[in-house]
Amino acid sequence: MHDVESVGVLEKKYSRRTFIKGVIATGATVSSANYLFRGPNILGAATLQSTTERLLTLTVNGQERRVDVLPNETLAMTLRYKLNLTGTKLGCDRAECGACTVLVDGVNQYSCSILTHQLRGRSVTTIEGLENADTGELSVVQQAVMDEGGFQCAFCAPGFVMSMTAMVANNPNVTREEARVALSGNLCRCADYDKILNCAMRAAELARSV
Amino acid sequence: MANMKDMIPAFDLVQPTTVEDAVDLMKDAGDEGWVLAGGLDTFDWFKDRIKRPRVVIDIGGIEEMRGFRDEAGGIEIGAMTTLTEVANHARVRSEFGVLATAAEHVATPQIRNQGTLGGNITQDTRCWYYRSGWPCYRAGGNVCYASAPLAMNREHCILGRSRCVAVNPSDTAPALIALDAKMVVQSPRRRLYDAEDYFIGPSVDITRMTVLEPGDLLTQVFVPAFWANSNFYFEKVRDRGSWDFQLVSVAAAFRMSGSTIEDARIAVNGVAPYPVRLDAVERLVRGEAASESLQNAAGELAIQGTRALRHNDYKIVMMRNLVRRAVRSVAA
Amino acid sequence: MAEKLVGVNYAPPDLRAKITGRARYAEDFRAQGMVFMKLLLSPMPHCRVRGVDDSRARRVPGFIDIMRASEVNQPEGPTEAMLTDEPKYEGEPILAVAAESEEACAAAIEAIELDLEPLPFVLDPLQGLRPNGPNAYTEGNQFSGQDGWSTYKWTDADFAEVDAGRMPNPANPLVEWTKGDIEAGFAEATVIIEEAIVHQSVTHHPMEPRSTMAYWENGRLHAFVSTQSAQRTKMGMAGALEVDPEEITFVSEFTGGGFGSKIPGHTHMSLAPLMSRKIGRPVMHRVTRYEENYIGRARPGFQAWAKMGFRADGKCTAIDLMIVQDSGPYGAGDHNTASNIADITYTPGNMRYRGFPMYTNTPPKAAQRGPGGAQINGMLEPLIDQAARELNMDRLAIRILNAPTVEYGMGPRSQRMTSTRAKEALRLGAELFDYENKIQLSGQRNGSKVTGIGLGLSTYTAGSRGYDGLMVIRPDGKLYVYQGIGNLGTHSISDTARPAAELLGLNWDQVEIIWGDSSRGMPNSSVQAGSQTTHAHSRANYAAAQDALRKIRAIAARQLGGNANQYRVDNGRVLGPGGSMTFAQVAQRAIALGGEYDGHTLPGDLNAATVPAANMHVGTGLMGVARDNFGGEGGIYSWLAVFGLIELDVETGQFETKELVCATDVGTVVHPRSLGAQCYGGAIQGMGMAMSQRWVFDPQYGVPFANRLYTARPPSIMDAPRSMAWDAVGIPDPQTPTGAKGIGEPSVGAGSAVLTTAIADAMGGRCLCRTPLTPDLIVAELEGRPLPFGRLDQHVG
Repeated sequence: MHDVESVGVLEKKYSRRTFIKGVIATGATVSSANYLFRGPNILGAATLQSTTERLLTLTVNGQERRVDVLPNETLAMTLRYKLNLTGTKLGCDRAECGACTVLVDGVNQYSCSILTHQLRGRSVTTIEGLENADTGELSVVQQAVMDEGGFQCAFCAPGFVMSMTAMVANNPNVTREEARVALSGNLCRCADYDKILNCAMRAAELARSV
Repeated sequence: MANMKDMIPAFDLVQPTTVEDAVDLMKDAGDEGWVLAGGLDTFDWFKDRIKRPRVVIDIGGIEEMRGFRDEAGGIEIGAMTTLTEVANHARVRSEFGVLATAAEHVATPQIRNQGTLGGNITQDTRCWYYRSGWPCYRAGGNVCYASAPLAMNREHCILGRSRCVAVNPSDTAPALIALDAKMVVQSPRRRLYDAEDYFIGPSVDITRMTVLEPGDLLTQVFVPAFWANSNFYFEKVRDRGSWDFQLVSVAAAFRMSGSTIEDARIAVNGVAPYPVRLDAVERLVRGEAASESLQNAAGELAIQGTRALRHNDYKIVMMRNLVRRAVRSVAA
Repeated sequence: MAEKLVGVNYAPPDLRAKITGRARYAEDFRAQGMVFMKLLLSPMPHCRVRGVDDSRARRVPGFIDIMRASEVNQPEGPTEAMLTDEPKYEGEPILAVAAESEEACAAAIEAIELDLEPLPFVLDPLQGLRPNGPNAYTEGNQFSGQDGWSTYKWTDADFAEVDAGRMPNPANPLVEWTKGDIEAGFAEATVIIEEAIVHQSVTHHPMEPRSTMAYWENGRLHAFVSTQSAQRTKMGMAGALEVDPEEITFVSEFTGGGFGSKIPGHTHMSLAPLMSRKIGRPVMHRVTRYEENYIGRARPGFQAWAKMGFRADGKCTAIDLMIVQDSGPYGAGDHNTASNIADITYTPGNMRYRGFPMYTNTPPKAAQRGPGGAQINGMLEPLIDQAARELNMDRLAIRILNAPTVEYGMGPRSQRMTSTRAKEALRLGAELFDYENKIQLSGQRNGSKVTGIGLGLSTYTAGSRGYDGLMVIRPDGKLYVYQGIGNLGTHSISDTARPAAELLGLNWDQVEIIWGDSSRGMPNSSVQAGSQTTHAHSRANYAAAQDALRKIRAIAARQLGGNANQYRVDNGRVLGPGGSMTFAQVAQRAIALGGEYDGHTLPGDLNAATVPAANMHVGTGLMGVARDNFGGEGGIYSWLAVFGLIELDVETGQFETKELVCATDVGTVVHPRSLGAQCYGGAIQGMGMAMSQRWVFDPQYGVPFANRLYTARPPSIMDAPRSMAWDAVGIPDPQTPTGAKGIGEPSVGAGSAVLTTAIADAMGGRCLCRTPLTPDLIVAELEGRPLPFGRLDQHVG
């Protein structure tokens, strides 16, 4: 476990070891107003915002990024609007289209539907992290897409590429039918599914030869 | 208050690492608390700004609620184990295949990578009137929009209605009933429920889908060895091949002696506000061979007492056919 | 020899950006001091805003300002405004709020209290035609610029016919045309097929919601827009904002699909610029999927009656078609196109069409890929099979018999086509599909699964003429092609440059495509719709390339001696009797010569919008710039024949599409892989429309429920056919220098038809004659259960 501090009302009740207060406070005061705040709080965002310190260290594409994150903020929003990693797309913001897919510790997940505060200590890979930063070399999946001329409008492409990346890492011997299932959490409205599967099979082939 | 269905309203986030702390925090938060598991049901409610808890208790960091524990009498699965882990687990696959298959039928790979077994069986209904924030019975109001004469209720129930006509959306729930699983609930007292009793209908409490009351935490699911290596059947009829809830699903376990069904457990979902165990059908097939006439009789018996709303008469046919097919799966 | 570019696969030049996260779509742009904007959507299908109390909203920390309907243009009649105080559908934007953060925007909107007066509404256009049925507008249900509002209804006697399942005969149809002698046509017929058919209304749901970012700097607007077109959308935005188009820096480098919903941009793209102008800050308008469901457009649904007569040999001799269209609150033209496409696809010679476009209080309708054609082909193809069955005729043979040749003229004015290879496409597809053997599997049962064979034929517009091409060979020896077309994913930005580059003897790595940013020059272009781009802009670029070639040869002759037409180009060099020059040298020479060579003098016939674009590049190299004066007569239409094999589970109503084969007539194939993708993608969209995609409204409250992707159900990768193949007839269109026609539109109708026909085939020829064909409907039909709604009800299920 990483270093956490918890203060305020809750700390008095729970030991530091077993309890992580998600929203880390600096100094000694998480305002008790946070806990006493009651009722329909449409102004809550602003109220809490003013009293809570939210600095967080995230590992994104292999780098530690220090970022100020609201407790109610999703990873997709943090990536796009705080870290300027706009390759991750918001197609539905409801875990339904897959355009926001990233890898969390190598597992493909919808970044629109995870709180950034749930990712402390974990490693996030986005589409920007696949290319070799030094050589500009494409990942096997990206190379496969170049070879097969994948995608049309490609708003779905970053998400598909991330799912393919997880897929070939799990199983470079994937069959076309297995690839179909592995990619079934990503929607392509251009319905370029045939080419996408060609890319997936080419990526697996390249992964096997690496 | 104007309609806004975007951006999660503010809350305070707490992340306990033990069940004990989680239960304490839940008690503390009372009605203003919300337990966050995989989050895939949760964030919908939050982004629609309908459910607005003051405190969100993220139980993702509780190690004791994750993974599998082999026990003599069966296997214990942490409620926070992901559906992918359930679907891929060697012993689940080999001995309790119906659960692995059901887990594979949930939504999409990303959802299965994040969504948990506990969350899948505890999720709220998808009735679109209710999910749109309309003040129906289930939302604490005094009307059911979905059963109004002109309402759009193709996805709603044909059994078990009581003011509310919503259905349980879970894929794994009927599989767990077929396996006679037990749900372990902590609050802080530890209780055990038979899977079929874990789910409640609107006649018991119209605002809840399960026995869980505020302060209750589902911690584990125990699958007894009794039904291990049975003949299993799972089928889910849906509109779309991915990211879709069932129209009707069936899960069944048959213990065979030659071509005779020694014992059976059969459950369907998508037909009632809770997954329905078909004990009458189980009694019918016990000791019989799965002949065509038995398949048909099982199907007919299954749909006794069903009553369609305007748009869901087809579910009666579908349910009958799925039960037939389940029995057919063990025909000689 | 320079490489061959036409008919060869290649990776489009924008692909690497798309898969590395560098491609920027509208919502990916940022500006210093950027704030956010959100919309308050109407909670009712039709109402009047009596009052807005925003006092609590204004106190939300971070709140900046509100924009109301009174601040935007309010056009007369049934025309959409950006904001309105009389919403005509649930979800119509009433006002916009700007705030420092999205959270504050949402909280502020939620804090607004609306005082609304509910008004009558109509969802199902047939209900609106009932004698005392509701109207979508308080003023009536028909509008003409001359006479204003009026009300049009059918009579009780008409509805007695409707309710009895027969085609009514209402007085004074809103639209009517005839050709030939319909009575003679039916008299000649041995078999008459008559059906009432419902085609649902479906949302476009492109992957990228229509977000916009905008800011003003020294009176110049910088707009970052999600749109199918580019230069034309810039003009549209200039019109909406009443600014000089040259005062807009318009950026649309990548667009995440549109399918007709973002053709010239869209109404609400101008809100962010307006708000930005009002508050003096850059404004990001991130549109959510929920909003996209409402403001993102939908295909109009049809309720139709079709009567088709067939001679004993299978020839269609008459069509009597009647369509009631759900036009939404602001109108749509699909039904007219549908009538024309019915005529050209089945060539009856004798036809009557009666159309009833009806305003409704459902979200706005717009062109959706193959608008009108996609509906009618999916609806009528099962009727062709019914005729074949009754005449004991082969299903392919009856289609080949009725498919048009270039001799047949479409619609009431018998519009002729530049080329028509429909019969060839059917034959090619049959061969690829192995039709002769596959048709034997029709109706075969294996356990609970029955095989169904589907056939669909579809056509649509595929070109247009008269746009401009602009390109420069710079002193680096490369060809820079300036595109004014949008980049919505069809690869047109590069495909349309390939024939031009080939004409100039260039290798592809010697060509740079410039697109998506008006500050780099956008020549006058078509809108990216109706599959016209490949045709229109391969021509326009070809014209510019011819202009460049003429200038290259002239310079070579001047420099090296001899006659200009003795010079040829290859590999970035011009070669002839006097030796050779590199294009780099030619470019330098062009700059030195000036005049027409480097764009100081422009052709007099250029479209006005091209001139400022060309002026940006004057003196940068040898300019090729020209208007497409190739001319031509007749409509430009492409064809697609689709074959499919499904297995229908008769116990569950579910089916799986095992095989799909597309055979197309698009003239010359420019980019094979992209063409195949258009065929498959469109076909799968059409299949989604026929099988799973849907939109459901609660009739009591007037609100749409399938407003999420998982409830709207566009087809997933699991729903795509298991095996797919395609081929092209490949006969060049004689009236265009590149021989190429577009594709994209017809694939949707053909894909839909494959399923409507295959399902009917698997069900022993029974046509459900409505979409979507979901498992509930199929299983109910197979089990003989009654339909839970009226035969012609719309928006149900």
